[in-house]
Amino acid sequence: MKNVSTDKKEFWRSLKEYYDNPETFRNKINEFQDGVTDDFNPDELNKFSRRKFLALMTASAALTATACTNYRDKGEIIPFTNRAEGHLPGTPDYYASHINGKSVLVKVREGRPINIEGNPDHPVLSGRLDAQTPADLLNLYDPERLKNPSINTSSADWSVIDSEVLGILNKCADDNKEIALITHSVNSPTQFKLLEDFSKKYNSLKIYSYELVQNNRLKAWKNCYGNLDIPSISWDKAKIILALEADFLARDDNAIGNAILFAQNRDVMNSTEFNRLYAVEGGLSLTGMNADYRLPIRPDAQFHFVTALLNHFVIERKISFAKIPAAVENIISNYSLADFSNEFNVELKIIKNLANDLLTHQGSSIIYAGETLPVEVHTLVFLLNEVLANTKLYNFKSGFKYYNTATDFTDFKTLSEKLRKGEVGAVINFDANPVYHLPSAVDFADAFSKFANSISIVESENETSAISKYVLAANHELESWGDHQTRADLYELQQPVIAPLFDTRQKENILLTWLNGVYDEKAYHKYLMANFSEIIYKKQNTPVDVKTYWYNCLHDGFVELKNSYTSDGSFNLDNVSLSLPKIDKSNFVVHLQKSYFVGDGKFTNNGWLQEIPHPVTKITWDNYASISPLTADSLGVKNDDLIEIKTGEGNLTIAAFVQPGLPENTIVIELGYGRSVIGDVGKGTGFNANKLISIEPSNYIINKNVSVSKIGGRYKLVSTQEHHSLDDTFVKDFHKLRKIIREGSLEEYKNNPNFLHEDELHLVGITREHQYEGLKWGMAIDLNKCISCASCVTACNIENNVPVVGKDQVSRGREMQWMRIDRYYSGTPNAPEISNQPMLCQHCDNAPCENVCPVNATNHSADGLNQMAYNRCVGTRYCANNCPYKVRRFNFYDFREHLADAYYQNNLSNLIHNPEVTVRSRGVMEKCTFCIQRIMDARSEAIKENRELKGTDVVTACQSVCPTNAIVFGDINDKNSKVSKYREHKLGYHVLEELYVKPNVTYLAKLRNTHSEES
Amino acid sequence: MSTIDFTRELPVIEGRPSLREIDDIIAKPLESKPDIKYYIALSITLTMLLIGAVALGFSFYYGTGLWGNNNPVGWGFPIVNFVFWVGIGHAGTLISAILFLLRQRWRNGIARFAEGMTIFAVITAGIFPLIHVGRPWLPLYLIPHPNQHSIWVNFTSPLLWDVFAVSTYFTVSFIFWYVGLIPDLATLRDRTKNRIKKIIYSVTSLGWRHSNRHWQHYEMVYLILAGFATPLVLSVHTIVSFDFAVSIMPGWHTTIFPPYFVAGAVFSGFAMVQNVLIFIRKIFNYEHIITIDTLERMNKIILLTGSLVGYAYAMEFFIAWYSGVQAEQFAFLNRAFGPYAWAYWIMVTCNVVFPQLFWLRRIRRYIPVMFVIAVFVNVGMWFERFVITVTSLSRDYLPASWAYYSPTLTDGAILLGSFGLFFTCLLLFTKTLPVVSIAEVKAVVEGSQPSHGDH
Repeated sequence: MKNVSTDKKEFWRSLKEYYDNPETFRNKINEFQDGVTDDFNPDELNKFSRRKFLALMTASAALTATACTNYRDKGEIIPFTNRAEGHLPGTPDYYASHINGKSVLVKVREGRPINIEGNPDHPVLSGRLDAQTPADLLNLYDPERLKNPSINTSSADWSVIDSEVLGILNKCADDNKEIALITHSVNSPTQFKLLEDFSKKYNSLKIYSYELVQNNRLKAWKNCYGNLDIPSISWDKAKIILALEADFLARDDNAIGNAILFAQNRDVMNSTEFNRLYAVEGGLSLTGMNADYRLPIRPDAQFHFVTALLNHFVIERKISFAKIPAAVENIISNYSLADFSNEFNVELKIIKNLANDLLTHQGSSIIYAGETLPVEVHTLVFLLNEVLANTKLYNFKSGFKYYNTATDFTDFKTLSEKLRKGEVGAVINFDANPVYHLPSAVDFADAFSKFANSISIVESENETSAISKYVLAANHELESWGDHQTRADLYELQQPVIAPLFDTRQKENILLTWLNGVYDEKAYHKYLMANFSEIIYKKQNTPVDVKTYWYNCLHDGFVELKNSYTSDGSFNLDNVSLSLPKIDKSNFVVHLQKSYFVGDGKFTNNGWLQEIPHPVTKITWDNYASISPLTADSLGVKNDDLIEIKTGEGNLTIAAFVQPGLPENTIVIELGYGRSVIGDVGKGTGFNANKLISIEPSNYIINKNVSVSKIGGRYKLVSTQEHHSLDDTFVKDFHKLRKIIREGSLEEYKNNPNFLHEDELHLVGITREHQYEGLKWGMAIDLNKCISCASCVTACNIENNVPVVGKDQVSRGREMQWMRIDRYYSGTPNAPEISNQPMLCQHCDNAPCENVCPVNATNHSADGLNQMAYNRCVGTRYCANNCPYKVRRFNFYDFREHLADAYYQNNLSNLIHNPEVTVRSRGVMEKCTFCIQRIMDARSEAIKENRELKGTDVVTACQSVCPTNAIVFGDINDKNSKVSKYREHKLGYHVLEELYVKPNVTYLAKLRNTHSEES
Repeated sequence: MSTIDFTRELPVIEGRPSLREIDDIIAKPLESKPDIKYYIALSITLTMLLIGAVALGFSFYYGTGLWGNNNPVGWGFPIVNFVFWVGIGHAGTLISAILFLLRQRWRNGIARFAEGMTIFAVITAGIFPLIHVGRPWLPLYLIPHPNQHSIWVNFTSPLLWDVFAVSTYFTVSFIFWYVGLIPDLATLRDRTKNRIKKIIYSVTSLGWRHSNRHWQHYEMVYLILAGFATPLVLSVHTIVSFDFAVSIMPGWHTTIFPPYFVAGAVFSGFAMVQNVLIFIRKIFNYEHIITIDTLERMNKIILLTGSLVGYAYAMEFFIAWYSGVQAEQFAFLNRAFGPYAWAYWIMVTCNVVFPQLFWLRRIRRYIPVMFVIAVFVNVGMWFERFVITVTSLSRDYLPASWAYYSPTLTDGAILLGSFGLFFTCLLLFTKTLPVVSIAEVKAVVEGSQPSHGDH
């Protein structure tokens, strides 16, 4: 071959070509052989090369192929390159703030708040929270929040609205026409200053303030003491507590603070001295459930009761630390405890015991009346506390702080009239909902709907904003600045933890814009700082500069004010006129009460809160009319029957619920339900009982002017617990027979600390059992301290991404909460004794769920946890069947998708999920994990710090919010740990012990502090 | 029938049909075109099947939430149906295996059909454990297989034992049935003129030539398989009962369950076989093959097993009382007097009271009444599984978590669909295979065996 040395092969077709014949060479240049091109001219052919043609073909095929795929925009992924100082991706940050009136820590992951926990340094709350506050998070991520401002329901630009509103306001100022600003009570000093500044600029501004349930205690205090400096109560020093229609452990504004102090005298680990709680009430409240003695009496008979007590102490026992006007003495002398006992069919012995207790504990007992009771009752209660020298328990230093009092309904009525007459230039609804809240007699809704210049500043559409011309979308509290002063010695700061998600503005900033004339995003922030410097910094005499101090306070979330304060008011009954009302016991009385979870309707669209079972009835998603079994019989009413309640104010058709423990002819209804303008979650939940509120002070919220009748029809109320008739001997007292609930009296325990375990079974295992070395997790729940407030339920829901299932699914028994509070009745339907028990996965050593799972999806960890592997679970539900505690929860649907057309399944609501916890899909079993994510977090911290993991390193979600410290968690192999001490305690027991499943949740038996002769 | 010579066995087949006549009458349904009645029947069962399939489709799409199951009651209709159908499947193997070993010659006329019912009932039953789970797309997890997660199945779970028990039972029953079919398939092969049928029968009859040698092997295999199948008859429902008995739920955790479940299964299986045979013998003119005597014998077994079941009901109550465990005592009181008392008393009436009528010879031999009683038995046995599954779960240890279970329309549709599937299979069976064993019937015709009597 030629050129062997070169790599390139040369091919030849003939010898001529091989020898480089010139003709061959010529032919090679011509693409076509001679003769081939006779029929066409190659130069006229397209110059498009084959190569180019193929390239274009390929490109267009590829283009077509990609264009035809179902390509979805998966959104942008933005790297967290410009991270905030001090922030590590994947680790949460905590910011102190103030939500729903509580000082909190907000847990923020990658810029989104995912949990609201208590602020552990807070002097009053010490990190504890109620059920409502953490769930406020769901309001932030509510897909139906207002996303932008609007004029006449069409969205508008802020600048347009600002200029139009400014025009209206200025015209009002020019014409000297009233500008009505309607708001709730104000406890923010800076907001109060803002309103003052606003009214300085617009002289004709009139501020109307209200709460759905007005605080009569405050009014009475003002009458008696002449000021608004109402003290807090030192519950921890109270040996005897008499709660008159007062749900001070749950529905009081300061319930958590109360519960924390109350439970300190119920701590069997520290002392065997308990306080004794008497509850005298109509509706069975959470406080009533926890009482050692509960006397059911009509709410309108409270005046008689207090009068009789006064008579007993002042006239019979001649005790008085206070001067009593003759007029008052006159009234009380006519009514004795015996009279009361006769008239209202109350056991005299208990009342006598109560009186003796109060007498022997003068100065260390407290009588506390619920805020819904009339002013006169409060006045007498203040007098009673003065008489018994119980004022020692008044804590003025940490008293409550009120910046304004509620406007009278008559003023609201005048406003309605003025609206009609056109005497008002503008109405600013400042984050309130008067159309829904105000009594029908005020006639506000109609007047407001016809009024032109109506401005509503609200977070979500409500009854008032729906008929307002201007609807201004306000920030959620988590997006806002603010300050609060609920206590005289405490100033709390609120900082935003997320930029506004939508085109919304902070409500205060909206007013500030109108005040300044220009919008500045940071205006209220600056305003707040300036005011802070004025009212806090300057008075605190601190050596640091204002900015440092501000940041410190912001970090802590609160400032303890140095100036101590005592009341300068003195008790004075001279201006008070009282008379003993006559009660016809055959008449019905309706008592309207606050809702436990949905507030005044603010949380009606909050699925988490709607789905928390009512502490007593366990009903979810609705309100209802509670009536006593006897009254129900006489009306011929059963559960779910519709009844009609007629008062002078209006008629209400509502579903009835037969509730043991109610006095006769008493109807108790909770407010906040039955909203007409509400999101999909709150739609059709409950009945609007606001229309029964009277503007007459005597009939205001306890209405004696009522007729009740059964009407045809039923309304399904759903509850998470079956309602067994109390006198049904078939199932009576099962919780005690089966040793689910074990109780005793304090006296019994003092006499024989081992009384609970006298009849103990000795259980023997027949298998070789696993030995746990090292850490072993366990929990203890002190039933003496647990008040069944359901804080733990919300905390668990949020921490563990527990879905909302909706009313329909609750009615089918498919609620998903991992933590539930079981309620058991014993005793008689008229005077039931109630036992509560938080129930969660017991993490049994011999877990019956584990051996029946065919796929090993649930198994045991080396540190004693009963684990669930969601990925492995095929959903046979055998484990749930075999769980004696029935704590396992099955995803019958993909509940996020199932609820109200995937209400909570959208880009916004998805932000709420805790990224540390798997979001479970359908067909999977789930249950309490003892917050395994927190355990793992603590473990990696320990590894990082090169130390052993300790039991105290982990705080479960339920434990962290529990107001009464009833839940203890830790290492049960560490004999010195708190949880071990609970486990070893004489009162400790396990539920269904004799099954030998060896549960790891220990319950401390409840001790009732009853009188020794009764135990 | 007034004078019976008890020294002689009663003829199992009446009327001394010739062997050719037996061939003809049994092969007739396979060689004739189906009539309009058959199509009507098939369309009804197919409609039922379709309703079930649609309900199942919805359940797969939306989730088990479409059923009535709730938090305490994790198992509802699907498990009830599963146990019911497995029970129905019991009669077949009992008739073909145990009665074969016990030399009960009267079984020969009904064995084939009963075996067929077993196969279809187990197919129907087998669907339920698969569909009742929350994630039916993961059945592989229930089968031990090597995987990258190194997760094995949990051999302590009775549900896993179920998987093995039911699949073994199905396999053995199927083989037993098929082996029995081989001589018949050969007979059909020899009879048919249709080419396609001929090919099919040729392949499935495995070259059977009725030779003496074949028969010898056949008899041996059949005997061995009968021996194999016999313990399975007892084991399957024993293991199904373990699903309940191994748990710790009051009302489930009962040692009487295995024999009680087996008795119940035979009880319901015989009732179902009796029900269907009454139609078959009438429609296909097999009255002389499946005689009144045979039906009477079946009714005697129904009476026996019904009484066993009744004894078990009573014993459960006694043991609950005797145990002294409050939860256990309540579980049974609650069955009889609680919210599900209606279901309990349906069960007791149908299973214990009505079958007692079979003490009367006239009723044992009177077709309309025996048919109704057997229908009641099947209703009662379905309710027995309902009572066991649902009442125990709905009120267990903690009164706070008690809840009432009410089935939904979807539950009902799936139950209907299961009957649709079972009867569709049966209908197809009657037109594709001999519902009575030709070879076995020939063996028990009078005069077919050498005897020492009539010389």
